[in-house]
Amino acid sequence: MPTDPTRPIITIDHLSKRFGSLAVLRDVSLAVMPGEVVAVIGPSGSGKTTLLRCINLLEPFDAGEVRLDDAPIGYVVAPNGRRRRQPEREIAKARAAIGMAFQSFNLFPHMTVLRNVMVAPMRIKRVSRDAAHETAVRLLDRVGLSDKVDAYPRQLSGGQQQRVAIARALAMEPKVMLFDEVTSALDPELVGEVLAVLRQLAEAGMTMVIVTHEMQFARDVADRIVFMAEGSIVEQGPPQQIFNDPQSERLKAFLRRYREAYLL
Amino acid sequence: MRFDLDMAARAIPELLGGLAVTLELSVLVIALSLIWGVVLVVGRLSHLLPLRLACAGYLQLVRNTPVLVQMYFFYFGFAMAGLRLSGFEAGLLAMVLQNGGYMSEIYRAGIENVGARQREAGLALGMRPFEAFRIVIFPQAVRLVLPPMTNQFVAIVKDTALVSTLSAADMMFRARLLIDRTAAAYEVFADLTAMYLVLTATIALLMRAAERRLGR
Amino acid sequence: MPNVLIASLPYLLRGAIVTLELSAVCALLASAIGIIAALAQSYGGLVARGIALIYLYLMRGTPMLVMVFAAYYLLPYVGINVEPMTGGVLVVSLYYGAFMSEVFRAALASVPRGQWDAGRALGMHGRWLMGIVIVPQALRLAGPPFINTCIMLVKGTSLVSVIGLVELTLSGREVVERTLAPFQVFGGVALIYFVICYSLSLCGKALEARLPHAH
Repeated sequence: MPTDPTRPIITIDHLSKRFGSLAVLRDVSLAVMPGEVVAVIGPSGSGKTTLLRCINLLEPFDAGEVRLDDAPIGYVVAPNGRRRRQPEREIAKARAAIGMAFQSFNLFPHMTVLRNVMVAPMRIKRVSRDAAHETAVRLLDRVGLSDKVDAYPRQLSGGQQQRVAIARALAMEPKVMLFDEVTSALDPELVGEVLAVLRQLAEAGMTMVIVTHEMQFARDVADRIVFMAEGSIVEQGPPQQIFNDPQSERLKAFLRRYREAYLL
Repeated sequence: MRFDLDMAARAIPELLGGLAVTLELSVLVIALSLIWGVVLVVGRLSHLLPLRLACAGYLQLVRNTPVLVQMYFFYFGFAMAGLRLSGFEAGLLAMVLQNGGYMSEIYRAGIENVGARQREAGLALGMRPFEAFRIVIFPQAVRLVLPPMTNQFVAIVKDTALVSTLSAADMMFRARLLIDRTAAAYEVFADLTAMYLVLTATIALLMRAAERRLGR
Repeated sequence: MPNVLIASLPYLLRGAIVTLELSAVCALLASAIGIIAALAQSYGGLVARGIALIYLYLMRGTPMLVMVFAAYYLLPYVGINVEPMTGGVLVVSLYYGAFMSEVFRAALASVPRGQWDAGRALGMHGRWLMGIVIVPQALRLAGPPFINTCIMLVKGTSLVSVIGLVELTLSGREVVERTLAPFQVFGGVALIYFVICYSLSLCGKALEARLPHAH
């Protein structure tokens, strides 16, 4: 189903999630347009990672809706009003159209780099081995790792593993890519190579939702910045506004602490 | 195969006659192997290479040979050499030698998992090596070793049944005697199994309580 | 001095072969039982999980010797051929199946959470997820404890001697009865068990070294 460029690809509608007595996400609503790059920033515990993981149902949520191209995913509301989780098969289909890269890369250690990238398209989209191979080689080349196709993940550096992870997600030709703090676990000198890949993707028009601590990067690459704290979206807007002209006290405090930490 | 409830009930006191022996052997083996395990682990972790090797060799020996064979070795061996050990005594000896080895490995794993870094932290604070062990490592290691130790205690209780093959009058032996007399195999085995299950469950419960008491 | 031992070695070795045969068959059966029980315990419905838990509780709390004798005395009533080998295979496989199940269950649980996330995020679920991502890793993680359980199993076969199976231990007893040299003969028996089990443990260590340990 082709994406309508005037409708949001991802719609988050009044999403709420509790963890025991703790409200992790409070009535969060967000719409991501095709081709848009949204960066989500905020202090630890603000719920930004949880929100991301709710989009592709890696986390369940208690109320609200997530829609991919206007079709709700994860839960269906029956005519009698009761909310039921969709069968795993349906959710898996939606997930196949949403790509995700993780902070801890999560490459499959028992497969080579090439097979890591090939296995999902082959098994899930039933792509032929040759086509999957070709796509994998192309993507690995695009992220700068053509010379590592036969290596195993444990032989690669963190930055290389993350780039493979991104290629693996891209191989499924997702409509939108989610990035969960993909540089936070990397040594500083390896961060740049991964951010370069993200930059490339953004320029090529991929719809991206990026949870990150890299403020400079967010400022340069994002079309919109979403600032979260304590489970809600406190402020959002273009990078100009967020960084140069913050409106809320919470955001001002966050930016102040961030600048202090980095100016030292 | 009809189950004769009346027979089952009558069998219980007979079997209980062997409970004392089973318990006595279990408790002795547990206590002595806890101690023997300490000696072995000290040797295993010592600075002297020959001692370390000797203990490591001993451990390999006991963990790669069946305890039944060890029992036969002592029972028949000493009998032939003029020292008549009872089935109970031969079993006790073999089981302590074996389980002492297993205990020492449990201790070693506990100590190593608490880790060198904890020890360094203690030393950096000015403790002497033995103090660091007593105050920093030991309390943490105790918590770690309780689960594997529980398993080992259960295994010990189950292994005591082996001495019945050497005519020691434990529950298993009494059971066989009873079956030979009454041919009520079904009922006797049901009772016997239930009794062992109760014993092992009791140990598990006691150890769980100990774990909780130590604030895991 | 070890003349008796050397003379009886062929007989003992024949017993050792029976031990090895019994061990191999039971290891396979126990693994099969173990995999089923682990899956039932972790992913089964209420009934499957209940059966698995009862089975595990019984095996863990009952001495195998009791089961061996029970098989000997009770199986004839159920019409099963009471040959020691049959009883032995049945009891040893069932008993160690419980240990195998714990090995596999722990291995499944040790696969890092992130692997589940990654598989799901790519759109995998159910048998795909298990077969492509999780189980291959679990099997590798299970290697060393699996070998340890096999070693326990080999030692456990010695108990089947009490119902007349002429494996290594019973062979030893027979020789001792004939030759009255218990220290030598049982020493030799222990040595043969040692060779078998220690070799297995060396395989285990080699496996551990070869296995790519993730992350």
